[in-house]
Amino acid sequence: MTRLFLIALLIVALGPVFTGAAQAADGKALFGFYCAQCHGTEGEGDGPNVTGDFPVDPRNFTETAEMEKISDADIRNVIIDGGPIADKSPMMPPWGKTLTDAEIEALVGYLRQLCNCTGKTG
Amino acid sequence: MKTGVSVFPALVLLVMTSSLAQADAAAGQAAFESNGCQSCHYTQGPATEKTIADQLAKKGPELWYAGSKFQRPWLEAWLADPQPIRSMKFNSVMEPNPGGHAVLSADQVGPVADYLMSLRSDMVVDGAVKVKKKNLKGKLIFIKKMPCSGCHQFPTKKKFSGGLSGPSLIGAGERLNPDWILAYLREPKVFKPVKMMPVFVGVLSDKDMKNVAAHVATFK
Repeated sequence: MTRLFLIALLIVALGPVFTGAAQAADGKALFGFYCAQCHGTEGEGDGPNVTGDFPVDPRNFTETAEMEKISDADIRNVIIDGGPIADKSPMMPPWGKTLTDAEIEALVGYLRQLCNCTGKTG
Repeated sequence: MKTGVSVFPALVLLVMTSSLAQADAAAGQAAFESNGCQSCHYTQGPATEKTIADQLAKKGPELWYAGSKFQRPWLEAWLADPQPIRSMKFNSVMEPNPGGHAVLSADQVGPVADYLMSLRSDMVVDGAVKVKKKNLKGKLIFIKKMPCSGCHQFPTKKKFSGGLSGPSLIGAGERLNPDWILAYLREPKVFKPVKMMPVFVGVLSDKDMKNVAAHVATFK
């Protein structure tokens, strides 16, 4: 009985840890499925679509200095409306009709992990 | 009375032809199952995938609307000599498609094509897309306004261009039913609820979607 109680206590205590890990994994899974096609599985801008025909260089999310210059809101807007909203290429699609708000937030969080930066505020 | 006499054999022929096609579809289904095709391709709609994990668990493209999606002559030729349509392996972003899809015996190709062509979706409206030699509005959307060419190979004057993560659209005019292309753009979640291609509903107008479908239908 005491053992059962301890296990239950452990589950309750570790719950938030597991939930946090699940959210981080979610951003990574979303990135691998939707974004890696162009931005590469490691986010370095070298996905399989970037052949000699590709007209632009997809952003390399591991370039900390470049990623510091943009805010979370900038990232969110480009994910939702596509490249043209930030005067970038239409090769970056509008994902606003595909992804939920929670998925977009998970992706913003994952990009911040990739750049190891927070970006400008506001 | 004379007319009645001549109509009767025609009717008999029609009934016989139609039941022969059904018989071939039934034989095709049996061949499909005995070859184990359903272990990678599901044929019962509607789609049930809800998460990325559901999609990634699939081993091959769903075929429950194959008869609405493909053109019969192309399907038969492909079943006889299956070649990769997507440069990358199914569901993979990094691994190249190794090819080597299972091949049916020559006598199974026709019946399996009959079976697959019998699998239809009522979301596809026959004759909705008018295909002409050119559709410049659709071309502009495909190449410039939208990122279609970023993921899909397509034919150009020189040879071909485009990205590798989506199915190649070279020869799409012979492969795909233009009305299915439109239905897929209009109702993507009916056909592929979780997919790597963005949803363009609310981004492209219905007219734009028709133009894109008509343009893709010109691809040789």
